[in-house]
Amino acid sequence: MTGWHAPDDLVTRYADGSLAETDAWSLDKHLERCGRCAARVSHAVRAGAAGPSLAAVRAGVLAAAPAPARARRTAPTPGAPRALGGRFTRILWAAGPAVRGTWAGSVVLVALGAVALAYGGGWAGARPLLLALAPVVPVAGVALSYGRHSDPLHEIAASAPGGGLRLLLTRTAAVLAVSAPSLTLAGLLLPSPGPRLPAGPATAGWLLPGLALTLASLVLSGYLGCRTATAVVGGGWLLAVSAPLLLSGGTGLTAGLTEQLSLYFTGAPSQGGWAAATVLCALLLAARRTAYDRLETM
Amino acid sequence: MNRPDTTAVPPLGGAAHPTGTPDGHGLGGSGDTAVRVSGDTAVRVSGLTVRHRRTTALDGVDLDFGLGVHGLLGPNGAGKTSLVRVLATVARPTAGCVELLGGDLRGHRERVTVRRELGYLPQDFGYYPGFTVREFVAYVAWLKELPGAETDAAVERAVTRVGLADRIDAKVKTLSGGMIRRVGIAQAIVNDPRLLLLDEPTAGLDPEQRVEFRALLRELGRTATVIVSTHLVEDVAAACTEVTLLEAGRVAYRGTPGSLAALGADGHESDGNAIERGYTTALRGHRAATGAGR
Repeated sequence: MTGWHAPDDLVTRYADGSLAETDAWSLDKHLERCGRCAARVSHAVRAGAAGPSLAAVRAGVLAAAPAPARARRTAPTPGAPRALGGRFTRILWAAGPAVRGTWAGSVVLVALGAVALAYGGGWAGARPLLLALAPVVPVAGVALSYGRHSDPLHEIAASAPGGGLRLLLTRTAAVLAVSAPSLTLAGLLLPSPGPRLPAGPATAGWLLPGLALTLASLVLSGYLGCRTATAVVGGGWLLAVSAPLLLSGGTGLTAGLTEQLSLYFTGAPSQGGWAAATVLCALLLAARRTAYDRLETM
Repeated sequence: MNRPDTTAVPPLGGAAHPTGTPDGHGLGGSGDTAVRVSGDTAVRVSGLTVRHRRTTALDGVDLDFGLGVHGLLGPNGAGKTSLVRVLATVARPTAGCVELLGGDLRGHRERVTVRRELGYLPQDFGYYPGFTVREFVAYVAWLKELPGAETDAAVERAVTRVGLADRIDAKVKTLSGGMIRRVGIAQAIVNDPRLLLLDEPTAGLDPEQRVEFRALLRELGRTATVIVSTHLVEDVAAACTEVTLLEAGRVAYRGTPGSLAALGADGHESDGNAIERGYTTALRGHRAATGAGR
């Protein structure tokens, strides 16, 4: 750090204790700041008369210290064993903040709530309701994990090269990795509707629509910002599911919802349509990938 | 960073000690802060205008910054943060031209290249509650696309430089405000940026930490262009090679801390130190000039 370093004779005399006291104080001060000279002094001390007894003390201390304490001690030094793991772990904890807090809580709430309603309350509407809500859960997860409104580190991310699409996709992947299995599992646990009701769509039927809506909200984010885009997509889906029910009236909630979802989820044409929408959104996302590094609107 | 050393180091064995600065501390080999390096211009803005709805934050500003530590001074609302946010590529200017590290910011490729070389400490920043200091800084290194093999060493170096090596595995939420500020500085320098932008970095630091921080600034300013927005005039005096004074979105004064202090030497004020008086004189002079021009 500084240009000045203690000459060799000064270091030797400091180590064997023959240096005048005022000079020793000065060198003390320098050693507090200069790692290079400190290392030379400790080398000189170990080479001197005190060397053998120092080595014995060191061996004794190391033998007495428990192994984990020693490992921790060496961790902060540069070049020490990698403390954060490899590339995969790194991506995992970069994605991690996506699935924290309120959103993860609400996924659990939706899944457990549906199971509790079906078994505890004996309500046949639990399954269609779960399937109707499932596609907006990952969309909401994206909204709550990315963008200036919800990411506390957004200002820093916005100035970084990886804060755009790379971070958005990492977060989205985390959100999907949590919501897809947990909601599908909850759907499978639910009892199938009784003989009086239509069978309804297959549980896994929501997966492709969920993916398509999530990607659609990412594409729209490039234009409207994350919060508005997810609100539009999520709100649009909920409207598409509920509006026909409200308009038709008549048939009960469970039957109406089941019928509506069957229309959206069941059959090759509708699933094919969702697949096409997914591919289209993925292509749009790839084509517009450079738009995501202007983050002031995200 | 090392412990603060508020007394100058006495010469050893007759050898002249190269450290020791006018403000009486000798950290970080800072004796050469007076050397101004020009020629290598890292930042060039011209006609920069930033408007937020109806208010004008910056009004046709022309500036350039090279190697060294540059202080941005000015009253609240003068446009300091707006300027820093534009330079951090976080805000888009309403009008004008911005050139950073030789590239303009219009193309995606240039933006990515510039951002890899950028360090930015925002005025306010949050953190994830579960993260340790090490994870926080490593996460930013990941955002800055630092190669994975270099990240661990870079994180430890950055955290050590801000004096938090002993707290590296502590949760960020358990740290004090001043320490969190230092974590913010660590994340900004983790990629050894060529352009470092610090918005109020000394807010929340105690006087001892500020002395250490200024030493770090001087050290960083030798290899990078450092732009520090601050309302603390003494930070500028102690650490900066150049001062830019902003007022109401315009450049009111540019010069060295010494010339700003000289400006206040013959003022009528008896309050404050020389550079504070210079600050006030420059500000009033600018107000009088722009007022007369209207």
